[in-house]
Amino acid sequence: MSYSHPQLKLLLLLAALFLAGLGVREWRMGFPDAAERLERFDREDPPPPIPPAPRLRAAPRWAAAARPEAPAPPRAVPPPRARAPATPPVPIADPRPLDLNRASAEEISRLPGVGPSLARRIVEERDRRGRFESADGLRGILGMGPKKLAALREHVTVGE
Amino acid sequence: MKWHEAPLLPLSAAFALGIVAAPWAAAAPGRLLVAGGLLLGLGACAAALGRYRPCEGAATVALLAVTFVLGALRGATEPLPADHIARAELAPVVRIEGRLADEPIRWAPDRTRLSLEVDGYFDRNDRRPASGRLQVTLYGETAPVGEGQRVSVELKLSRPRGFRNPGGFDYPAFLRREGILLVGSGRAESLAALTADEPPWPVRVKRWAVAAIGAHLPETSAALLAGLILGEKKGLPPESDEAFRRAGVYHILAVSGFNVALLASSVFFVLSALGISRRATAVTAGAALVGFALVVGGQASVLRATVMGLLLLAALLLDRKSQLMNALALAALALLTWRPGDLWDPGFQLSFAATAGIIYLTPAITAWLAARGWPAWLATAVAVSVGAQAAVTPVMLIHFNQLSLIGIAANLIVVPLAAVATTLGMLALLVALASAVAADVIFPALWLVLVALRAAVWAAAAVPAAMIHLPAPGWAAIFTWSMALALVPFLGARRWTRSAAAACLIAALALSIWPWVEPGDGRLRITFLDVGQGDAILVELPEGQRLLVDGGAAGARRLDVGERVVAPYLWNRPAARVDAVAVTHSDTDHSGGLRAVLTRFRVGELWENGRWGPGSEETLRAAERSGACRRTLVAGQRIWLGSALVTVLNPDGTLPLDEPAPDGENEQSLVLRLDWRGFSLLLTGDLGRPGEERVLASHAPVRVLVLKVGHHGSRFSSTGEFLAATRPEVAVISVGARNPFRHPTPDALARLEAAGARIYRTDRDGAVILETDGASLWITRWASGTVERLDLDPERGA
Repeated sequence: MSYSHPQLKLLLLLAALFLAGLGVREWRMGFPDAAERLERFDREDPPPPIPPAPRLRAAPRWAAAARPEAPAPPRAVPPPRARAPATPPVPIADPRPLDLNRASAEEISRLPGVGPSLARRIVEERDRRGRFESADGLRGILGMGPKKLAALREHVTVGE
Repeated sequence: MKWHEAPLLPLSAAFALGIVAAPWAAAAPGRLLVAGGLLLGLGACAAALGRYRPCEGAATVALLAVTFVLGALRGATEPLPADHIARAELAPVVRIEGRLADEPIRWAPDRTRLSLEVDGYFDRNDRRPASGRLQVTLYGETAPVGEGQRVSVELKLSRPRGFRNPGGFDYPAFLRREGILLVGSGRAESLAALTADEPPWPVRVKRWAVAAIGAHLPETSAALLAGLILGEKKGLPPESDEAFRRAGVYHILAVSGFNVALLASSVFFVLSALGISRRATAVTAGAALVGFALVVGGQASVLRATVMGLLLLAALLLDRKSQLMNALALAALALLTWRPGDLWDPGFQLSFAATAGIIYLTPAITAWLAARGWPAWLATAVAVSVGAQAAVTPVMLIHFNQLSLIGIAANLIVVPLAAVATTLGMLALLVALASAVAADVIFPALWLVLVALRAAVWAAAAVPAAMIHLPAPGWAAIFTWSMALALVPFLGARRWTRSAAAACLIAALALSIWPWVEPGDGRLRITFLDVGQGDAILVELPEGQRLLVDGGAAGARRLDVGERVVAPYLWNRPAARVDAVAVTHSDTDHSGGLRAVLTRFRVGELWENGRWGPGSEETLRAAERSGACRRTLVAGQRIWLGSALVTVLNPDGTLPLDEPAPDGENEQSLVLRLDWRGFSLLLTGDLGRPGEERVLASHAPVRVLVLKVGHHGSRFSSTGEFLAATRPEVAVISVGARNPFRHPTPDALARLEAAGARIYRTDRDGAVILETDGASLWITRWASGTVERLDLDPERGA
C-alpha cells in the first residue's frame, strides 16, 4: 500500500497538527498560570479607579477626616507635585458650639467621638427628660465616659 | 501589463468618475439621459462607419462617455419614496415596527445599536405603513434579538449629527450613503420582539462559529481568530486593536482576498489529495467561496474578493488564461452598480487600491529585486508588501492620517502566521462540527499560532515610530503619487519614464511636505472645536506654539472624541507637537479626550489644577506616561506662550489638593486669560457662581474681548455681576446639541445678550474659529461658512 504525494503531505500535516495540539494541551494543563500569563502578555490592566470624593454638607461641622470612625477614603492616586501653597489640611471646626437641646441626632453624631448609635441614645435621653440642663446631663448615657464628656464640653452648649 | 488585457479597466474608471460627478449631474437627470442617448448614437454611427482608426477611436470615446453618464445616473440620489419614514409627520416619541437588518451591536454594557428596516409606525393608535432604514441606539439592558427578527420599539427620531470641524468626518453623509436619513434613540425596555429569533442560515453559521471559537480558546485569542476568519473584531481588546494598526497589519482582521485565497487553496489541497478531478474541485471551491461570503457578510472587501475568486475559478474551468486586472475591474463595476455609495467607503477604497497595487506593481518590483540576487520567494513577498503599501498609502492618509512605517517588514512575518492561523481555524471549525474531542486537540495548537501572531504584531508595534500620522494629502499630491506609481512598470523600458517618475515623486513629496513648512500668516488662531457636549479649544500662536485647552469627552460608554475629532484635527493642521495641554478640571467631558492627545502627540507641558476625580483615570495614566512636564497652576501665575501672555485666575490655591471641594469640583476649574496684542480671551472651564465670585473678589483683570462661557452655558454660570465685569463682545458656548443638561439655558443666554455679547455656539455653528492679527478679529462659523469681522479697539483691555 502506498500513498500519493499529496496524500502524504496532507496526512503528515494532520499528524503534526494533532501532535502539537496534544503537546500544548498537556502543557496548558500542567502550567495553567504560565499559559494564562502567555495568553495575556499584551493585555494591560485598567488604571486603578479614583474613588469619588466624599460629598460635603453645605456647612461642614466636622471635617470628615477628623472623625476617627469614618476617615476619608484614601485617594488611590496621590495628587501630583503640588505647586499650591501647601497649607496643612486642618479640620474645619465650626466655632459655634452645638446646642444639645436643638440638635438632631445626625448633627450630634458629627461631634468628635460620637457615633450614630450614641447620638441616637443622647436624643432618646433628651426626649425622656425633656431637655438637658447642662452638658453634665450627658453623663450616665451608655457609651459616654468621663474622658469623652470632657472632650465634648467645649463643643456643646444647652439652650433654653 | 498591457491595456488590451484589461478592457474593463477604462470602463470601470469611467463609471466611477460618473459616480463622483453624480452630485453635479443630479440637477438635470433628463438632460443627462438625452446626452447619453446622443453619445450612444454617435458611437454607434462611428462604429458602423467601419474599421478606420479615427472611427474606432471616436466610438471608444463615445462608449466611455456613455459609461460615465451611466455612472452619474446610477450615483444620483434617488428621490425618497412617498412612504419613507423621513417624510412622515411624527410625534416626538413614536412607536416603530421593523425588521432588524443586522445583528445588534452591543458597544457598551447598556448601549446597543440596531439597524432597523422600518415597515410601519404608529400615529396614536393607527398603524401606518412606512419604509426606510433607521440607525437606533437603545439605552439599558436590551433583550436578546437577532438579525431578521421583526421588532417594535418606541423611539425619538432625529436627523443624524456629526461633529462639524474643518477636515472632519461627515457622519450624516456616511449614514446617507447607507440609506439612513434618521437616527433614533430609546429605552431598551420599550423593545418588543414581534417574531421569534429565526435568522437565515448564514447568520446561524456565523453565530455558531463565534460561539465555537469562544468555547475553545481564551478570550483575546478567540477575538483574534474571529477577526481573522469572520472579520468579527468587536471582542478584540483596544490595546491589541491599536497594536495591529501600528504594525500596519490591520488588513488581516478584515475578510478579504487573503481569506478567499486560503479557503480556495485549502479546498484544492484537500480535494486533490483525495484524487478528485480538477473541475469538480473548482466547482466545490466556488460553492465554498459563495457560502463563505454569505456567512461573513457584505463588506466591500469580501464581495470584491469573492467576485475575483469566482472569475479565476471560472477561467480555470474554461481553460482560459485569467487576467487579474480585468477581474478586478469587473468586480469594481459590479459592486459600484449594485452599491454606488461604496465608492466613498474606506473599506472599498483600501481593498481595491491594495489589490490593484499588488497586481500592477508586483511583477516589476519582483523582477527588479530578483535581478539584484534576491531569492525568488523573498522578492515576491517583499514586492507584494511594497506594492500594496504604496497603493493604499493615500487612502490611509485621507481617512485615518496613518502611515505605518514598519508595515512592509511586519507583513513579511505576520501574513504567513495569519495564513497558518486562518487555515487551521477553518479546519478546526470544520472538525468541531463533527467531533468536540478532536477540536479539543486542534485548538491548542492553533492557540500557539495565535499567540505567536500576537507576539509578532506586538513586537512590530513596539518599534519606535512604527506608525506616523500625517495630514490628509490634497488632490494634487494624490494625483502625482498615482502617476509615479503608474510609471513603475515602465521604468526599465524607456529613458523618459525615469525622469517623469522621479519628477512625479518629487512633486508628490513636495506637495505633502508643504503644509509643514508653509509660512504662517502672522495671525493668532483660536478654534473652538465642535466636540458635542464638552470643551476642546486649540490656541495657535503666530510663532507656531500650540495650546490645547481640554480635549472633549471620552469614557467607557461614549465615543472617544479625542481620538475621533481632536487628534485628526491636529494631524490635519498639521501638528505633531502640542506645546501645552491644559486640563481645566478632570470631568470626563473636558479631560477624557486628552488621553488620545497625550498618547499620540509630543506634549511639552500639561497644565492642571492638580485634582483628578473618578472617570479621569485613563487620562491621568496617559499624562504620567507622556513625559510631559506637569504643572499645577494657581491664580496669579503668568506664563508666556510665544508672544501671548497666559494669566491664571483660578483656582486660588487655598484648598488643599487632597481635600474635596466644598462648592464642587467645577469651581476649582483652571481659569486662564490669554492676552495677545489687542486681543484677550478668558477660558473659564466649568466655573460657576462661587468660582466667579472668587475670581471677581481677587480683583484679577477679567475684562476681555472673548469669553468662553462657563459650564456650557449653565444656569449657574455667567452671572450678571461676572458679565458686567468681563464685558465680553464675543461669547462662545461649547455645547452639544440636545444634551441632557439642556445647556445652554435660556437664563444664561439672556444674561449674555443683556451684556451685549455676540453669541456663538458650537451646537449650531459647528467649530467656531477666531483669527486675529491684533487689529481685526475674524470669526468663522464652520457649519455655515460665514465669516464676520470685528475691529479691535486698541483702548480695550483690563
